[in-house]
Amino acid sequence: MEEKKKKQQSINPLETKNDPVLCISPAKVLVLHLICGLGLASGFWAAHYFYSINLVSNPAETLRLIWIVEASVVILLYSLFRLNPDKCSYSRAVVGALLGLPAGAIVNALGAIVLGAPVGLQHFRKTVHWSLLMSVFTLVPAASVFGSSWTDWHRIFAQTKPIGPVDYMICLPAHGAVIGAWFGAWPMPLDWERSWQYGTSQLWQSIVRSASRISNTNQSWGRSEELS
Amino acid sequence: MNTKTISNSSSLTCTKLTLLTVLAVLIQITGLSVFIMGFFPVKPTLSGISGLESFYPPGFDPTDLSQNVSTLPPDKLKSFYQELSGVPPVFDRLVLMVIDGLPAEFVLGRDGMHPRKEFVEAMPYTQSLLAKGLAIGYHAKAAPPTVTMPRLKAMVSGAIGGFLDVAFNFNTQAFLDDNLIVQFFRFGWKMVMLGDETWLKLFPTMFTRCDGVSSFFVKDTIQVDYNVSRHLADELKSTDWDLLILHYLGLDHVGHNGGRNSNLMTPKLMEMDEVIKMIHSSTIQTQEVKQRGTLLLVVSDHGMTESGNHGGSSYEETDSLALFISPGTFNYTSETNNKAFQVDIAATLALLFGVPIPKNNVGTLMAEVFTSLTDEQQLRILELNSWQLLRLLQAQFPELECGRFSCEPGSVGHDDAEMFCCLYLDAAALFESWKSKSSSRSVGGDDYRSIVLAYQNFLRSASKWLSGRATDKPIGLLACGIAAMLLSCSILVGLLFVYGRDSPLGGIQHLSHKENMKKGHLDEIFILAVIFILILSMGSSSMVEEEQYIWHFMTASLYLILLRKTLQSSTPGRLLHAQNVNSKQKRSCSRIYSIVAVLTSGRILRGWHQGGVNWAHLPDISKFLEQAGSAPIKSLQLISILLVISISLTSILWPFWKSRFVMLFTVIFLFPGWLVLQDILNYQDSIFASASSDAIATTMAQNIYALLSIFTVGTLFAIPWFMPLKNSKTSRLCCFSIDISPQIQSEPLLWGFRDSIYVIGWCCVFSWCLLQLLLQQPINSMPVLLLLVQILASIWYFSDGDPHTRQWVEVAALYYVGMAGHFGLGNTNTLATIDVAGAFIGVSSHSTFISGILMFIITYASPMLALLSMLIYVSAKDMSAFVDTQNEMNFGHLLKMCVGYPCLVPLGLNSIFLVAYTIVLLLMRNHLFVWSVFSPKYLYVCATTACIYIGTLFVALATTYTCMAFATRRMWKGFFWKG
Repeated sequence: MEEKKKKQQSINPLETKNDPVLCISPAKVLVLHLICGLGLASGFWAAHYFYSINLVSNPAETLRLIWIVEASVVILLYSLFRLNPDKCSYSRAVVGALLGLPAGAIVNALGAIVLGAPVGLQHFRKTVHWSLLMSVFTLVPAASVFGSSWTDWHRIFAQTKPIGPVDYMICLPAHGAVIGAWFGAWPMPLDWERSWQYGTSQLWQSIVRSASRISNTNQSWGRSEELS
Repeated sequence: MNTKTISNSSSLTCTKLTLLTVLAVLIQITGLSVFIMGFFPVKPTLSGISGLESFYPPGFDPTDLSQNVSTLPPDKLKSFYQELSGVPPVFDRLVLMVIDGLPAEFVLGRDGMHPRKEFVEAMPYTQSLLAKGLAIGYHAKAAPPTVTMPRLKAMVSGAIGGFLDVAFNFNTQAFLDDNLIVQFFRFGWKMVMLGDETWLKLFPTMFTRCDGVSSFFVKDTIQVDYNVSRHLADELKSTDWDLLILHYLGLDHVGHNGGRNSNLMTPKLMEMDEVIKMIHSSTIQTQEVKQRGTLLLVVSDHGMTESGNHGGSSYEETDSLALFISPGTFNYTSETNNKAFQVDIAATLALLFGVPIPKNNVGTLMAEVFTSLTDEQQLRILELNSWQLLRLLQAQFPELECGRFSCEPGSVGHDDAEMFCCLYLDAAALFESWKSKSSSRSVGGDDYRSIVLAYQNFLRSASKWLSGRATDKPIGLLACGIAAMLLSCSILVGLLFVYGRDSPLGGIQHLSHKENMKKGHLDEIFILAVIFILILSMGSSSMVEEEQYIWHFMTASLYLILLRKTLQSSTPGRLLHAQNVNSKQKRSCSRIYSIVAVLTSGRILRGWHQGGVNWAHLPDISKFLEQAGSAPIKSLQLISILLVISISLTSILWPFWKSRFVMLFTVIFLFPGWLVLQDILNYQDSIFASASSDAIATTMAQNIYALLSIFTVGTLFAIPWFMPLKNSKTSRLCCFSIDISPQIQSEPLLWGFRDSIYVIGWCCVFSWCLLQLLLQQPINSMPVLLLLVQILASIWYFSDGDPHTRQWVEVAALYYVGMAGHFGLGNTNTLATIDVAGAFIGVSSHSTFISGILMFIITYASPMLALLSMLIYVSAKDMSAFVDTQNEMNFGHLLKMCVGYPCLVPLGLNSIFLVAYTIVLLLMRNHLFVWSVFSPKYLYVCATTACIYIGTLFVALATTYTCMAFATRRMWKGFFWKG
């Protein structure tokens, strides 16, 4: 996947637009992703030790805890890499990211519902927290860095043509999360005899979605680190 | 087809393409029939009817005696048999009461539990009989397919029919195998049959008196049973009959209409209880008159699922009842948890009444019923049953000679044949020694019990093996069939490749540069990936049961990919012509809206029916609406009809707003629509419809069929000749096409061709939708509308010849939408979800053929709609790309370009699925679920294949006809238009 993207990049060398390529060292990217990963892990850890809940027993509560922890880490970190540090203050980037969080959640929730996530009051909280977490992984970093620059958003999300380390830093985890979520939503009619298979198929799908999203996000982090 | 002027530049001419496709399809049909013949064989059975030899051990040749026997009068024969068997009949007369579709659970409870309270209260008399020990109830497990005719055959013959019996369920023919009814007839019994006329079709000449009712008006739950019961009082008074068959259909109809929990279920059970009470009290009265009394046997042919359907092999469907009710008492402490098989009824009845056991019986006797016999007699009937099964085993093992096996106690049987022999010889030896020391034996002693045990060992294992044996499948036939299907599949796929090479882009080519070519790949890869995913998922029985998930998920994902692609090209920087920015952006917006419409409708469709097998009970929209009552369903139905009519009318009138066709189209579209609306408003609502309104509704439905077919056929034949050939400056079909190339504007014939196809396509789609609204269950009318919206939005999206999207991707997407919609309408891969009730709408006399066609129409509503919409799709494409560059009006080339993909892609995709699933079925032939999951799915795959054939044939023929009409018109008026 990366090779393909690299190729595309070499075929279409930097488009003749304002090139906001920040110079950013691989070490910085590594640290950033490490902290993000630690945030995720600490979310799980807190859920496990303080509240003794997990994704299987209390999906909504666990997801809420994780997204709150992860969102604070992601927003604070990614806002450091905002596009125009001169024009746009740090606090403005944070506010932008906070605005992007519910907007991204709506987009993710709609996508999940179209792919078959259940609609209904009893599933509402799970869907909300899941989509907020997905938003933290997908759109919030972009909102922190790019603000409301339509061309950058279009470049990253519609065309998947990242230019430079910052673009990759946003693009790869976001796509990894979406692809992981898609694979997680795969229809799986299992025999349901084990406790971990318990629940309606949709609930299970949402659980797997979160689990594999995390693994995929980690994978894509690995990739982006290699690249940068 | 104008084949004379086909250019030589193309390697694949229209004629060649057609011939090769037809050849491939013919090969496929041949291969499929060969495979089906091999895989669903008619089991080898013993021919003839049991007679004298059944009272002798196997190997005995009674030919010398049988000469005399065949000339004996019936009553002599009876006493002769009785003398030979040594067991007197336990009863004289039999009342066989069949309650269609009654699950044993309703009477006996499940797993040792009592039945539900309201059911116990509904059948007080039957429950008291059970409590008093006057009745013995069995859970008589029925074999799939759980539909009436094969189950009746199993009950009277004791044999389990082949799987394809289900196909003949609506085509009952005289039953020629050995069975109880024939045996009773030879005894000179007078038999009376009241109820389901399936009996009359199975046994046309056997009954002295009969009153057949048809299982035809599924909505009728009252009259159908009244017609049986009205004769009952008279028949019970008369003493001339020996066998009285009562077949009540009402309970099955209640189930089909409202499921197990229908409000009508309790009253229906009460009615059945009344009938049982009436018969039983009369049999007690007549007991003095007759010697041994009358046995009342209450059986059900199959059970029903929660929603009242049947056909599959779930516990709910196979849990049928066998309730023996005696005028006296059985010397047996009654339990309610007796388990048996439905086929056991035949052997039990034969032994109870002293007739020979039917030849192909695989059942064993139900020992609890025979407790009034002496020990020796009980052993004798076990022996008779064993002889019969041993004879059947000998038919399976031609060289079975029990004498040649050693059967040492220590030696382990090497094969089934040896094991059966040893079990049998063991029991027979024990019985012989018991008979020889008749003086010293005690009543019910250990000896006796060990003999019974030995016999039952043999009977059980033989019965199990015989009923579940893997039938020999002729490998040669199967291999031939698969090879033929593989060949045709490779021809079709090869044709697709060659065709695709000839016309790399179905759309406009002026936008194609390298980068765009590269970008267009994700959706193509995904389409191919879907094929592989589906093939892989077919190998798992759970995935086959829950196939709807994968179709919905894949279709939604495909459209999400298309959405992303649209977003990609929506940026201002991508646009080539700066002056077109505005219209392009509008276009791109409308494309996004259309995808959103497809996705939204698809999501609602997915939520409409939960579908599948294992999770069908989970809440969904249809269950919610059904709970809410009939008013919301009715209003949704009306809204759907009005919307379907208005969408169709708007679409058809848009391009013809100022032409003389307006009035004509309005009439053509509104009149049948109005009729359907009338029909739904007036006749469809009540289960309790009276006979007269039924008749009116039938006439109404027939009128609608006639009108729809006349309008469709009329449009199809007339439109190509009368479509005006205006050199139109106004943008026709502007709803579908923005970019009109100069070439097509200057060519009136092409315009006329395109308009004709458009009108014909709409006419077919509209007629099909109306037909579905009439035939489908009311709850399904909204999904029909959603399907129409999905397909239209897809065509709208595809219509502007996006250079990134290849034509085959578009056709495949439509095909996938059609398949996802198939499951969205509530279909599954079990036979139970076929809507039988709808298949009798507007049919005034029982006709297997017409009902079958209606059933097919209902079940394949969605794929067929997708195929019919290919006509609109073709007309919505920019045809300038189809025109031969060297010869502008080469109709052969035009035809090939128009219908090439719309016909080849569905055929190719289907052939891949067909071959893959055939191989899966062959691999799974020993799987536990082969008869309950994989075989029904295979029947669906075959029916889908038929649907694809019919649909593509129709599309091809309609387009060809239009093409020929225009070619002729050009020849006639050629010189008017050349200038």
